Formats: sequence, structure tokens, C-alpha cells
Amino acid sequence: MGLRKHSNLVSYALGNVLKYRTRSLAIVTALILSTFLLGSAEFIREGVMTDLNASADEGPDLIVQKLWGGRQAPVPLEWKENLSAIHGVRLATPRVWGYIDVGGGGLLTVMGVNASEYGTIVGTTGTEIMEEGRFLNDTDRYRMVVGEGILDIMRASFAGVSVGIGSALSLIAQNGSLIEFEIIGVFSSNSRIYSNDLILTDLDSARQVLGLEGASCTDYALWAEYGEDLNSVAFRIDTQIADARVLTRDALSDAMLVTYGNRAGVVALLWVVLLMTVILLSFTVSTSGSDEARREVGLLKALGYDTVDVLEIRMFESLTLGMLGASLGVSSAIVFDFILGAPILSGYLLGWSFLLLNGGLPLAISAPTIFTLYVVAIVPLLVATVVPAWRNAITEPDVVLRGV
Amino acid sequence: MTAIIRAESVWKIYGQGSPREVNAVKDVSIDIAQGEVTALGGPSGSGKTTILSLLGLLTKPTKGSVYLEERELSSLSEVYRTKVRRERIGFIFQAQYLIPQLTSVENVALPKLCTDMSRDDAENLAKERLTALGMENRLDFRVAELSGGEQQRVSIARSLMNSPDILIADEPSSSIDEALTKDLLATLRGMSEENGLTVIVASHDPTVLNWSDRIYHMQDGSLVE
Repeated sequence: MGLRKHSNLVSYALGNVLKYRTRSLAIVTALILSTFLLGSAEFIREGVMTDLNASADEGPDLIVQKLWGGRQAPVPLEWKENLSAIHGVRLATPRVWGYIDVGGGGLLTVMGVNASEYGTIVGTTGTEIMEEGRFLNDTDRYRMVVGEGILDIMRASFAGVSVGIGSALSLIAQNGSLIEFEIIGVFSSNSRIYSNDLILTDLDSARQVLGLEGASCTDYALWAEYGEDLNSVAFRIDTQIADARVLTRDALSDAMLVTYGNRAGVVALLWVVLLMTVILLSFTVSTSGSDEARREVGLLKALGYDTVDVLEIRMFESLTLGMLGASLGVSSAIVFDFILGAPILSGYLLGWSFLLLNGGLPLAISAPTIFTLYVVAIVPLLVATVVPAWRNAITEPDVVLRGV
Repeated sequence: MTAIIRAESVWKIYGQGSPREVNAVKDVSIDIAQGEVTALGGPSGSGKTTILSLLGLLTKPTKGSVYLEERELSSLSEVYRTKVRRERIGFIFQAQYLIPQLTSVENVALPKLCTDMSRDDAENLAKERLTALGMENRLDFRVAELSGGEQQRVSIARSLMNSPDILIADEPSSSIDEALTKDLLATLRGMSEENGLTVIVASHDPTVLNWSDRIYHMQDGSLVE
């Protein structure tokens, strides 16, 4: 009972979408643009968040640097003893790191670590961190564990040559000499920020490549005892070691997010402008501003359509346009981000940090994000069309038709 | 005379309390006999269309009451009034109010789409109604492509879709020639006599007025002798 009526109303609504082609096309086009823009930015945002979370899980709890004269300076290895003695510190291990230019604007991260300490703390055995090969050990020299991105670059540079475990990679040291490394392992971390462009080697080899003096390191990576409040540990270090600058995991994430967030704000603003265009367009063609739409509602009411019938028609019209626009917008965003690599937008959103991600753009897609994209596309459209129709539908047909 | 619908001391004031207040209908009482053709005459702006709107339940009177078969309708809910319009009243509007993007058949089928009749059945019935009015060659034309007279016939066909007890026609001859007017009046007369259709028509066309069973004249919102 009543099914035929609803079928008629849906059919009438779909007919309207096709009959008012110009109006429908304008709304769908504006929706595609706004959803595409928001979707593209959201997939990158979600990718950044996923990577930051993964990095935070894998990375140290605290990083301690040395400031000298207001600038970052090499940290003496003697700090290890003092840092390890501070209450709440489980492990303090030195790192020597920096970037090397591989041409074409690409940078790779070189990090030298104490193999046994680092290997133990990040759990290189019995976990899935290593894709293949093995982690470093204390006797390794000029050997490296690399991220997938490094292999990709090598494959691109040496087409036809098999690249993998056992391959040699020569790096130009700061003094101009060429140092040959052997690849002994490959990371499989989900975090692209952390491992994709990373070359992990021993401390001495890293010092040689980056030109750092023998008894120093770039910083100390610290892991706190379980249950310790990181800010409290950071405070103790800060007060007990002069010249120390302590960065907590949260502070590092925040620093990255600030850069991303400012730019994402501009994209969000653009999206709001586009969505407002959709709303205004829909509102104009469906309100008392459009005599045609107003008169149609008045006529339907005069012919015996209930208010809910009119709303059902307008709702289906909007849902059809909204679903179509949002689906095409989301699809375009997926193609743009995941297949084309989000040209222009990714560089703008990620800024300098993107330059460090030679291996690829951090992208992620999830059901809640897709749901959100559909909701923010469809709900405003529904409101902009159904509310004016409802206002006309509850007004006397005589008033709506004659405009008295 | 058995009144199927009647208005009792109805007033209709638009924009009440505002500087643009208009007394469109003032204290009008009128009985419409079942199965008769009743005409409302009078100059433009005399309140004919407003009386039709009141009798057709398209608006509520500011004061007074409208009765359908002795049931007072003015105070009833909009849902009930809509149901009465859907099931018992047909309208031929002066401005026609056809949807230009739809075909003749689609326009005529509109009143049945909000019922449980299937769309196919509604469109077949619409074709019957249009064919009966000589529009068989214009069934799939969009109404924007039709002449004024053809559009009027589409409007008439639509008013008959719900097989109404009461047909309300506002200036039905305004956009058709005299010959077509006579055809239309003959059709309505036939339906009145055969099916007991009650016709209320507003017009200043003497042909229409002379054809009716009863004539009321209006002037400045009131009935005059």
C-alpha cells in the first residue's frame, strides 16, 4: 500500500533532474569541484596523520639536541651517561643523521645508529619491521638498511639492473670522497615519513658521510620507562643538562602538523567557497527566488499532493544530484591523488616536508572519510532545497500560485 | 436546491494589518447546487478568483465558513483539505500553471502521481482525457511547444483526471476562440448532465455566462444583484 505512489514520486523527481538539465549540470559540476578539492586534501591529510602516528609509534619518545649560541651543535658522546642516569629514562642512544643530495631536488636521509641498542629498542627481530635481509649489528661498517623508496630510486637510475640485498650504493661524503655501501636489509615499515627514504647505517660510517667529528653525534634518541610522563622526563633533562634542547614526540608531531595545518586551512577555505556556491545555486533555483520552482510546489499542492509528497520529490532530486556530484568528486579525487600523485596540491599542502618524501606521497583513505565527504556534499544540498520547498508547501496554494 | 458546496459570510483579507491590506472578498454567502453550472461574473479584480480559491479549498477565509455537503471545511487540517482537493475537486486555472518542461501527457497525469495509481496507468488515462479533447496528435509534445488553445485543453484534461465532483474553472475561455469555447462548454455540460459534475466558472465572457444555470455577479469583493 502506497508503494506505487512513492515509486511515482521518485520517478517524477528523477524526471525533474533530467528535464532541468542546465540546473542539474550546474549543481553537479559545483559539487564535483568542491568534493574533489576536499577529498584530495582529506586523503593527503589522512595519509599524513597515519604516517605521523606510525612514526610516533616507531620513533623515540624524546630527542635531545645540544644548543650552542642558540644554534644546534654536535652532541658530545659523554652526554649518554648523564642522560641514562636521569630518572625515567630507559634508553639513551646516539644518532648521527643528515641529508644527502641525490640530484633532481631529491634528498635522502642518512642515519647512523648504535646497532645493538637501536635494534633492540625498535624490535628488529621477531617483528615485521624488516621486509627482507637483516638489521645492522655492531661490527657492520659501510653497510646499510634502507627504505623501499631508496630501492625505487636505484631501480629508476639503473634500469635493467637487479637491485636488492647485496647491491652496492655509493654515497658522496662531505669531503667529496665516494664511499661504497652494501645493502643488507630493507624496511617494511608502514610509515613512509620514517623509513621510505631512510638509509640506516652504523655511527662511524654516518659520521664519515656527513662529516661529523668522531666523539659526537647529532642528537640522542631517548625512550622513557613505561608509564613515565614524557613531559616530566623532558623537564628533568632540561633542568639537569645545560644546553640541552628536548623535543617530545608530541612536539615533533605538532611541528609537522602546524606546517600542514596552515596550508590545509587555505584549501578548506576554498572548499567552503565552492560549497557555498553549490548551496546558493541550489537555494536560488529552489526557493521563492525561483518563481518556476515555487509555482510548481503550489500547483502540486493544489492538485492534491501532501506536504510530505512535495518534500519527498525535492529530497530525491537533491539526493540524486548530491550522490552523483559527490561520487564523481570522490572518484576524481581518488584518481587525482592515488594515480596521478596529487600534482600541485601535494606540494602545496606538504610544503618542504614533501621534498623529503622521495618515495611517495602519504595517502590514506578510510570509510569514515568517504562517509564525511558524502555527508558534507549532500546535507547542505538537501537543506538548501528541501527547506524552501517545505516553506512553500506549508503555505496556502492560492498564495504560492498567485503570489498574493 | 441541494447545495454541494456553500460559503457563508466569508471574508478574505490579504495582508491583513499591513499597509497593503486588500479586502478581496467581503461578506459573501453563496450556494452552489449539485450538478449545476454556476457562473461568477464581474469585472477584473472583483474577487471572482478569490471566491473560486475559497470554494476550491486553496485558501482559508479570513472570516466565515465554507461547507462541503454541510461539513465545515475552513477549520479542518491542511491534510484533510488536500485530500478533498485530490479526490473531489478539479481545477482549470486562469494562468493554467502547466509545467513547460513536461509533455502534455505528463502534465495531465500529474494529479494521479500522488495516488496509488501506477505511472503507466496514469499516463494511459491522461491519453484518454487528451484524446477526448482532440489532442491525440499532441500527446508527447512539451506544453511549451503548444498553442494557447492547446495548452488550455491540456489544462482541462488535467482537471478531469481525478473524475471530480466539482470542477472549478477560472476564465476557461480566456485563451481559446469562440468555437473552441463552445466545444468546451458542451463537454462540461455533458459531464454535468451525465455524471452530475458540479461546475463553478468565473468569467466575463457573455458566452460562458449565458450558458450557465445560475449566475452570480461580483463587484468590489461583494455579490451584487
